[in-house]
Amino acid sequence: MLRFYLWEIGKLFHLKSVRVGLVAAFLLPVIWSLAPGLKQVYGLVLVSGWQVPALSLLAGMEFLFPFLVAMAAAEVLGAEVTMGTLQLVLLRPISRTRLMTVKVLAALSFPFLLLLASLLGALLAGLPHGFGGFYGGTGLGPEGFAGLGFLSAGAAFSEILRAYLLAAVTLLPIAALAVLYAALFFSTTASALAALATVLLMRMLVVFPAIQPLLLTHYLDLYLHPGAAAPGLWLLLIYTLGFSVLALLIFEKKDV
Amino acid sequence: MSPLLVRDLGKRYGRRWVLSRVAFEVAGGEVYALAGPNGSGKTTVIRLVTGLAFPSQGQVLLLGENVHESGWRARRHLGAVVEAPAAFYPYLTGRENLERLAWMSGLENAAARIREVLARLELLAVADQRTGGYSLGQRQRLGIAAAILADPQVLVLDEPTSGLDPEGIQKVHELLAEEAARGVAVLVSTHHLREISAYASKVGILGGGRLVDEVVLSPERPRYRLIAGDPERAAALLKTVPELREVRLQGQAVLFEGPPERAVFVLAEAHIPVLELTRDYFDLHAYYRERVNRA
Repeated sequence: MLRFYLWEIGKLFHLKSVRVGLVAAFLLPVIWSLAPGLKQVYGLVLVSGWQVPALSLLAGMEFLFPFLVAMAAAEVLGAEVTMGTLQLVLLRPISRTRLMTVKVLAALSFPFLLLLASLLGALLAGLPHGFGGFYGGTGLGPEGFAGLGFLSAGAAFSEILRAYLLAAVTLLPIAALAVLYAALFFSTTASALAALATVLLMRMLVVFPAIQPLLLTHYLDLYLHPGAAAPGLWLLLIYTLGFSVLALLIFEKKDV
Repeated sequence: MSPLLVRDLGKRYGRRWVLSRVAFEVAGGEVYALAGPNGSGKTTVIRLVTGLAFPSQGQVLLLGENVHESGWRARRHLGAVVEAPAAFYPYLTGRENLERLAWMSGLENAAARIREVLARLELLAVADQRTGGYSLGQRQRLGIAAAILADPQVLVLDEPTSGLDPEGIQKVHELLAEEAARGVAVLVSTHHLREISAYASKVGILGGGRLVDEVVLSPERPRYRLIAGDPERAAALLKTVPELREVRLQGQAVLFEGPPERAVFVLAEAHIPVLELTRDYFDLHAYYRERVNRA
């Protein structure tokens, strides 16, 4: 199973949307750290390299990262359909459940890879500002960029790491949803669009306050509120598991 | 039980039946050719038989295992090409693609077997090039190499000669005949009726999603066509030769089964000149056109 999963991860890096996504995630903090309008938009003057990763998350999690995750996750299955290699694999004595499980796992790995690329880009972009302790905040802890006084390098890195991990987890249901649609439609574009449309529709449901806590979109900024993460995390994991199981069930009896 | 058994197979999309009550079997060592015009259901049959699609009715048994219920276990016995040209991971070389497939098939001693099938399909020269740069013919031949890689007992091929040059087509026909001779049950969809009738055992003619006819051929009992100086006398004489069978007159030609050299010898002894002697293939193409037009 591990070898199968690693092969699937290898295939992931040959997908165009994955390559484009990783480059975009890497470049985003570099561009943002040089942006002349930082003060106007975020009220921020960078005083430490540890503040750059927050810029990347704030800008990316709004739309770019969910979009890239939906595209890549849909392409994990869609590309094989387009190339015709899905049939090649399914003609071998491999169970459909096993194949789809590794595809789901590969798709669920992508948010972590994407945010790792973003973090590496942010750390590179932060180099000119230094990575020592500083007075202020990372933008991902209490009191945002203002902080609560002196913040050591270790504490800053820990805050950033936690926020990035939380952000990746909030993207998991979107990846699983895109794979579910891919199992239904066998098309990368249709599946990615359907996943994004679902997320956007959920966001519009803000006019129904009672159901808000049940929607995955309610927790997309969880990385900013790590203290209150637990219930949201459970819900996001339930969404992820539910979408994944549905994708497996649909694929099991799907004509290829 | 035949290695490949298709029972009452049907496929419906919504209310429309694209395939209905198709049944046939392919014994070990047999080549079963599926013929039919475009849209007659050949590819649907191939996809159902290989387990890629699920039937609305009926079942497919591979060595007694239901391919749609036993799933991957039934596919242990299967080698197939279902798309022309066959698809591969374009960023991997031909050899690397086969290595992945061998691993998925649980093949032991894979390197030697891969080299063997690459050599058999004359692909060794391009084995270490990425398949993205392969010609259509090379991809198709690699598809056949992949199909026979794990020594399957049932071989299913959809238009295996598509995209091949005449030499490649001949090679594929030879290979299919060899696989059948080794005891493999071969199911092949094709438009090349004349070539396939030289070695196929049966031809199933599909029309409008139904198996409209099944023609039994006998490649192991070749028939000959002889033009002699006095055809009536020649036919009468050959009927008396015990080694010759099914002797009959068709126009000015004498048709018979059995050793042709014996027929020539007997006629020469009787001073009846033999003007022409050729193998008489069943005109499958003409028969097929007639059946499809009638269907």
